[in-house]
Amino acid sequence: MIELRQVSFRYEQARQENGLRDVNLTIGDGEVILLCGESGCGKTTLTRLVNGLIPHFWGGDLNGEVLIDGVKINEMPLYETAKIVGSVFQNPRSQFFNVDTDSEIAFGCENQGLPEEEIRKRVETNVKQYSLEPLMGRSIFELSGGEKQKIACASVSACDPDILVLDEPTANLDARATAALRRMLLLWKAQGKTIIIAEHRLYFLRDIADRIVYMNQGRIETVFTHENFISLGAEKLENMGLRPLSLNELQCHIKQPVQTNENLVFSDFRFSYKNGKPVLDIDKLNISEGASVAVIGHNGAGKSTFARCLCGLERKCGGKLLGQANVKGRKQRLKCCFMVMQDVNHQLFTESVLDEVLLSMEEENEEQAEEILKGLDLQELKEQHPMALSGGQKQRVAIASAIASKREIILFDEPTSGLDLRHMREVAANLWQLNAMGKTVFVVTHDPEFILSCCTYVVHMEQGYVIAQYPLDTNGTARMLSFFQDTADKPADLEGMVMM
Amino acid sequence: MMANEILQSVSTGKRFKLDPRTKMLMVITISTVIIGGGNGGLMNIAKPLLAAVPLLMLITSRRSRAAIAYTAIYILCFAGERLLVPITSGFLNFLIVACCGMLTRFLPGIMMGYFLVTTTTVSEFTAAMERMHMPRQITIPLSVMFRFFPTVGEEMAAINDAMKMRGITFANPMRMLEYRLVPMLMCSVKIGEELSAAALTRGLGAPVKRTNICEVGFHIQDMFAILICIFGFAAFFSSRIIS
Amino acid sequence: MNNKLQAKDLINVGIFSAIYLVVLMAVAMLGYIPVFIPLLSVLVPIVGGIPFMLFLTKVKKFGMVWIMAIIMGIVMLILGMGVWVLPIGIVTGLICELILKSGNYASSKKSVLVSGVFSMSIFGNYLPMFIARDSYFETMRSGYGNEYVNALTNYMPEWSWLLLLAACFISGIAGGLLGKAVLKKHFKKAGIA
Repeated sequence: MIELRQVSFRYEQARQENGLRDVNLTIGDGEVILLCGESGCGKTTLTRLVNGLIPHFWGGDLNGEVLIDGVKINEMPLYETAKIVGSVFQNPRSQFFNVDTDSEIAFGCENQGLPEEEIRKRVETNVKQYSLEPLMGRSIFELSGGEKQKIACASVSACDPDILVLDEPTANLDARATAALRRMLLLWKAQGKTIIIAEHRLYFLRDIADRIVYMNQGRIETVFTHENFISLGAEKLENMGLRPLSLNELQCHIKQPVQTNENLVFSDFRFSYKNGKPVLDIDKLNISEGASVAVIGHNGAGKSTFARCLCGLERKCGGKLLGQANVKGRKQRLKCCFMVMQDVNHQLFTESVLDEVLLSMEEENEEQAEEILKGLDLQELKEQHPMALSGGQKQRVAIASAIASKREIILFDEPTSGLDLRHMREVAANLWQLNAMGKTVFVVTHDPEFILSCCTYVVHMEQGYVIAQYPLDTNGTARMLSFFQDTADKPADLEGMVMM
Repeated sequence: MMANEILQSVSTGKRFKLDPRTKMLMVITISTVIIGGGNGGLMNIAKPLLAAVPLLMLITSRRSRAAIAYTAIYILCFAGERLLVPITSGFLNFLIVACCGMLTRFLPGIMMGYFLVTTTTVSEFTAAMERMHMPRQITIPLSVMFRFFPTVGEEMAAINDAMKMRGITFANPMRMLEYRLVPMLMCSVKIGEELSAAALTRGLGAPVKRTNICEVGFHIQDMFAILICIFGFAAFFSSRIIS
Repeated sequence: MNNKLQAKDLINVGIFSAIYLVVLMAVAMLGYIPVFIPLLSVLVPIVGGIPFMLFLTKVKKFGMVWIMAIIMGIVMLILGMGVWVLPIGIVTGLICELILKSGNYASSKKSVLVSGVFSMSIFGNYLPMFIARDSYFETMRSGYGNEYVNALTNYMPEWSWLLLLAACFISGIAGGLLGKAVLKKHFKKAGIA
């Protein structure tokens, strides 16, 4: 049993996450608790209290008591807590300690000094239980995000803890991988484990969570039972800043695209890896200029590769972009496309927001830069170091530098992974703003709600080909939503509930 | 995606595996004896023998390209020394002497190192270190280093892409350095933080001896290799004593 | 505060060792052109100074720099670059620790000095060349005669090793100052130093 009694916490260093205030919560054995709320509400902080990262890793002012089965966690060293609480985090790329899958699953057990035979047995059991055989004996660097998360979960479960804590584990996963994680959670629940999961995406937990804890500004505002939460309805959820619980509750705003007669024709976009495996094979793709295009498809379909080739980043891809007057090869495309990357940290270089915008300009014009910042609500941050900002603010800085570059085609690679409702809407508004400026926008995304908020056209890719493209009118919307509803899993798991 | 790693992630071959400790001994022996060794006596046998060992290793592990490159460069330097030294003079002469001489001495060690690095996995290496009773203050940072090395490469590649995309070019070398290193360091610190949290919540740092399920151990081929190393060192020391 | 090295510290050492190694290898690519090999003793410490100074801001206990030097030595060993970086690293690493401890891990001047001392372990990569040189020139004597060999030694005199070692140290200091500037301009402002 987990008890939080009058817990208040304030981080030592000012951070994006809020602390906690007067948190009281009791979690029974075998319960599944969903922590939800807007970004910064304190759900991550609460998970850190349970797995011991607070106060042993994240220092600060802690008041109150956190007890597991009557023992105070903050007085236990982390390696002791690790035996009873397993943790899965949101970023698959930074969780693994070893370079190969077998060692990674064994990692937790090895740290406890368990005998070799015991560890091998546990690894085998876990691999079998979660059907991980195809992933064994491989380099973790080669795995996809979803596969990495599976290994992370197996690694944690090999230690056989009674409590599992997950902090936004699906933030970087697509629908299929999310479904796989859901299956793992069901297995754990059946084993009687206590699960605490902090999430923005609520739909996949719909029939798993026993209680839902809604947090706001560091406090627990309401604790719902499963039935009460489901009966809340889409509007109430939206007011709470939460994402909808099912696809059917999505509101469809049909956007009118900017009317142009100009067409952009992308031809001969092909790309393969060194070992010959083809990843992208597009003969011809017609897009009207000024459209706001959502690029959808399962992971591995070639969406990101397409975005990179379009942008001119892949040297081996020789595609051409035929515009109204000219043909743009790779080097010209580099100059007329701007990409807002999935990890914005890779494209921020200077020591102030203003400098970052000026960097994009051919000729530096401070006045213009300030105008752009104002348009994105960033003018107060203009002297701040870009890396000191929050994720959402960094993204806006990248968008500002996109605008400043005056380039006509802007691409976004998964801009809303891990974002809550409000921030997702903000990004959608910014994207729509770009579209209104006459720019052609491409968005690689898994987020149907986001697509409905700001896109006018859909390109559906599969295995490197464009298998469908359509405008987002009534029919198109239905087609797009049905793609997200199809989890491509075995029929037994199909609930028609997969959505973002 | 090709991750540039130092050691391997997964095992590539299964036949006649040598223990990582043996391979390390071989690298040490070959580089020490060939670089620093004198001439005459046993060294006349030891040096060519030790220089041939990496070639043999590369061939048996199917690294034919490396084996061919090794042989080719070695022959080139040898020939270069014989043919070019008498006909050149001055600084150019020195350069040729230096290059050919250095290469013939350094190449065997480096090729042996290449063999080690391409046939040993991180788990095997760490297991070998732990068997040698290396303290965890060394083995843990070492494993983290091997794990993080490719990640740094990935981050730098992404940053390079961003620079290409934004059109940031080679204006000022100091700026280029700044733009390449600063984002990489920021990202690395952040990833490092997350890595630590994930490792600590799985019990890293417990005051018990870590187990390692990777199998390493000495077999007959290791004994053979160790004998060659002993011979090499014997020749080395005897030539030192004589001169 | 607990003075023993915790797992978090050890992980930090591993991370920055990886970064330093990447920098070292990237710069060493220039070494394919043999004339540039001595230049590495200048470039690696300067460029490496930036990550190194960031690393030092996280060093608050005894042992972290020493371990980093030892790890560099082990990696150089398995890459076949010779055994010398390890013993030299053990010595320079220890000196670095003593310097840092004397400044209570809070003096930025001492950090720059440590950058200089740490860079001297790179010299371990060059040492085999000087060792080989002696024996190599000996073999040439029998083939080409004394006069010829003496002329050769003019290009690479006895004391040239000292020059290279000094170059490592001075460049390390320069790298430390450069790293300090970058710390102020970026990392402190962004809050990660």
